Amino acid sequence: MTAFLKPRAPSPRWRRRGTVLALLAPWLIGFTVFFAYPMASTVYYSFHRFDLFTAEFIGLDNYWYFLGDERAHLAFRNTLWLVAVLVPAQMVFGLGVAQLVVRLKAGAGFFRTVFFLPSLVPTVAGTVGFVFLLNPATGPVNGLLSAAGIEGPDWYGDPAWAKPGLVLLALWGIGNLMVIFMAALLDVPRHLYEAAAIDGAGALRQFRSITLPTISPVLMFSAVTGVIQAMQYFTQAWITSRVAAGATDSPGSSYTPGYPDGSLLTFPQWLFQTAFRDFSMGYASVLALIMFVISMLFILILLRRFRAFGDEGA
Amino acid sequence: MRRRLFTVLLAGSTALSLTACTAGAPPAGPEAGPKKEEPQTITLWHGFSVDSEVKAFSDALALFKTKYPHITVNAVKGVDDDRIIQAIRGGTPPDVAASFTTDNVGQFCKTGIFQDLKPYLEAAKVDIDVFPKVVQSYTEFEGKRCVMPLLADAYGMYYNKALMKGKQPPKTLSELTALAKELTVREPNGDIKVAGFLPSGDFYENSASHLGPMTGAKWYNPDGTSAIGSDPAWKALLTWQKELVDWYGHDKLEKFRKGLGDEWSADNAFHKGKVVMHVDGEWRNAMLANTAPDLEYGTAPLPVADDRPELYGGGFVSGTIVGVPRGSKHPQAAWELIRFLTTDTEALVTLSNGTRNIPTTQAARQSPNLKKDANYQTFLDIFDNPNISTLPSHINSAFNQETLQEFITRYEAGRATDLAGGLAKVDKTINDRLRLSAG
Amino acid sequence: MSADTVPAAGSAQDRLTPPSRPRRMPRATLYWIAKHALAIALALMFLGPLVFIALTALMTDAQALTSQLWPQSWNWGNFSEIFTTTPLLRWIVNTMVYSLSATALMLASSVPVAYALARIRFRGRKTAFLLVILMMLLPPQVVAVPIYTLWASMGLTNSLWPLIIPMVFGDAFSIFLLRQFMLTIPREYSDAARVDGCGEFTTMLRVILPMARPAIAAVALFQFFYCWNDYYGPLLYASTNADSWTLSLGIASFKALHSVQWNLTMAATILVMAPVIIVFFLAQKVFIEGVTLTGVKG
Repeated sequence: MTAFLKPRAPSPRWRRRGTVLALLAPWLIGFTVFFAYPMASTVYYSFHRFDLFTAEFIGLDNYWYFLGDERAHLAFRNTLWLVAVLVPAQMVFGLGVAQLVVRLKAGAGFFRTVFFLPSLVPTVAGTVGFVFLLNPATGPVNGLLSAAGIEGPDWYGDPAWAKPGLVLLALWGIGNLMVIFMAALLDVPRHLYEAAAIDGAGALRQFRSITLPTISPVLMFSAVTGVIQAMQYFTQAWITSRVAAGATDSPGSSYTPGYPDGSLLTFPQWLFQTAFRDFSMGYASVLALIMFVISMLFILILLRRFRAFGDEGA
Repeated sequence: MRRRLFTVLLAGSTALSLTACTAGAPPAGPEAGPKKEEPQTITLWHGFSVDSEVKAFSDALALFKTKYPHITVNAVKGVDDDRIIQAIRGGTPPDVAASFTTDNVGQFCKTGIFQDLKPYLEAAKVDIDVFPKVVQSYTEFEGKRCVMPLLADAYGMYYNKALMKGKQPPKTLSELTALAKELTVREPNGDIKVAGFLPSGDFYENSASHLGPMTGAKWYNPDGTSAIGSDPAWKALLTWQKELVDWYGHDKLEKFRKGLGDEWSADNAFHKGKVVMHVDGEWRNAMLANTAPDLEYGTAPLPVADDRPELYGGGFVSGTIVGVPRGSKHPQAAWELIRFLTTDTEALVTLSNGTRNIPTTQAARQSPNLKKDANYQTFLDIFDNPNISTLPSHINSAFNQETLQEFITRYEAGRATDLAGGLAKVDKTINDRLRLSAG
Repeated sequence: MSADTVPAAGSAQDRLTPPSRPRRMPRATLYWIAKHALAIALALMFLGPLVFIALTALMTDAQALTSQLWPQSWNWGNFSEIFTTTPLLRWIVNTMVYSLSATALMLASSVPVAYALARIRFRGRKTAFLLVILMMLLPPQVVAVPIYTLWASMGLTNSLWPLIIPMVFGDAFSIFLLRQFMLTIPREYSDAARVDGCGEFTTMLRVILPMARPAIAAVALFQFFYCWNDYYGPLLYASTNADSWTLSLGIASFKALHSVQWNLTMAATILVMAPVIIVFFLAQKVFIEGVTLTGVKG
């Protein structure tokens, strides 16, 4: 701005700074409006009873309520379960499928397409589809099981099976991970394997001492982003419990969040329910802050591991 | 837009030091907005979604149009409370909203989601005593009336005459249990083919609020805290329910339930003869007439606890409610529509003949134009019985019901075994929440 | 990472063959059969759900309530029935508007930011990039309450605008991916442009943009599909207004709101999946390369 008033041409340094600012401007505004301000505001609301109409200061009451809110604790445990089970399951399965596909001699392209395809299915459609497939009375899965003489479980109606049912859904959509792992596997220099083979190392040995160390940065990155995604796990669980409970959005419909027994109630769902269904937005802000702190822990791990991101040329 | 955002950004940074950030217009009274005589179009949200009910509602609106030709009503069907609440809180309300449930009346009135109707009622000189006391009670909260009763619902028992094998409907819970066992038909492998009575709390209309009146179970103490743990009637109800569930086998019952058609479709289990005795509201009469006209069925009040025979004849009563949302842009015309729909005898009779819901005013119930038959009469009688009860208004009503329902689901499945302890915990959850939301 | 590490689809066999030790033929043949049998079994499991959903979509509603697998009669009319019982066309149009406008705006705003972060040295660049990563990784729920309040104060919480407008200000994930890709473009290209007297804008438009085309195509596809599949966003902002419902919202409430049976629900599910799968087959290469880009190595 000041440069504009000066009669002589702006110095290259100022011009450069102006260019950078112009290029970054949209994002800078976005960062302030959609990130910095809301973060501060969340802290502010967490001390209030806020329902969009009025905000009343209530000190730490929202925080005290969290300590006794068993559904929040349940939701927290469910989300931890997903982080601890869903993420490793996806990684192992994704790596296994990738290993298989890169070794195929015939039809590798076809199989890659088949394994990738389900990951394109819109989340909502896939979820509704799985609730039907795993319906104990009308779904084909239990139908096939009983044809084989096995009494299938009540999947999304049984708290012991509901989350494993969601893991199945997630494994079905493994496509992205498979492609990423395939790329990593193909990057492993082939001469390493040849040298190991000459030394008489078996397939397992080769996997442990060559494949894993070489692709470990990719594995690590996928693990951390997987954890962060698992912490946001919402849509599949939200829809599954509503459809499986037979919720009809009508009076007398006895839908409880996270049906059955709250086993599908994840932390983001409880936050959503609290903020945008019950409109206890002050308390929801407390839940949001808890989510922030935990996410930050994982993000810091990621950033420490990949300091190279900030560097030139990576 | 960008400029707007800058303003918001500035406002946002100052908002941190202010106390309230409000959305939507402040509550407006009967004087606000365009005069009711001016030509205008208003939007109305309602919960009806079954074709025949939507048609009945349009008929009533057509009647309104003949009397108030300058007001055009734009009706949106199939709207639930989540949408109503979110829209009004978010500052984008319809002009009139009708809710299918009384669950949220406490929240509606207390936080001002719907406008206080007192000034409207006084200006129009409407006598609220045309509505029965119980109906008055579920449309107000702590003395504040923010919604009007549109139509009422009463719950009773439907039974399939062919499958009853000449038996009379049960009057007590033990009779119901005995009959349910007798009439149940199973497949050779033990799966259920026809259920005498389906006791699951998650089945269609079997929610705690609807079944509670069978044992006279009470929800709240006078101060709004939970009475569920301390009222033995809940234990009696759940013990009875659990005994019957166990007789069927919980997993068999769940498998059966999940193979049933949708409650609001023509594949409803009662329509298809999958259940013999069935708890449902009076509207089932209309749906049976429309999609299963050949089904021979009878109706009766719900059976009651063996030690509370005096309760027989009553049951659960609730209803559709309608009000003027905060931020309504045409509150005057909105109120004219509400007054018409809730108090005009012709309108109520039209609605009732189409939906078979119970008209809330005495005049409409006694109108010669109201079609009556024996099965419908049962519900009119239940409605007039002194033993009817409703779910009392409470600021967290939906949350409280979910809390109890979740426990019932677990108890039925055998995943919770300590009945007294579980109900005590329900009390604690409800009371903690009450403190959070009411201070 | 560098661009040439992105594998070409066909290179699987050439680059990684299991080490060949001298073995007797039968064993190698057995190995060959075993892995292909496993692949076929897995393929059946991956395709099974799609097949069952398609079969159910063609059943009568009564049959869909049984556990039979094969339709007794082929009810192609189920598909047209969806269009008459639900405003499916409206949902499709809304979803298209949301996805296309969000993608276009995202590209317009994110490319310059990525360019500045990747190709210009300035003070605070590192910090800015760290903040991009933070925005990308932090769950959106963390800031949902104040942002919702913000949109509510503008009266926009019954529309898709709160999901589209923020795209004017860039999308962290896209900025990140674009930046990573632009880093791999050798410096000499932009230096040459500068020698020719081009400013930063011209360099970006004339030199870097064409070279970053694969990455731009990838982020555009990701953004489009993210919007196409998005449920949380429309649930939060558009669910109060049936006129702005998207496909995700419609399908999720399909069974509850329209009291329909599984056959129609599955038919609707198929209709939602179909366009995505068609686009995939048309643009398979972009997809696979794009996904590979996201598996960034540190």
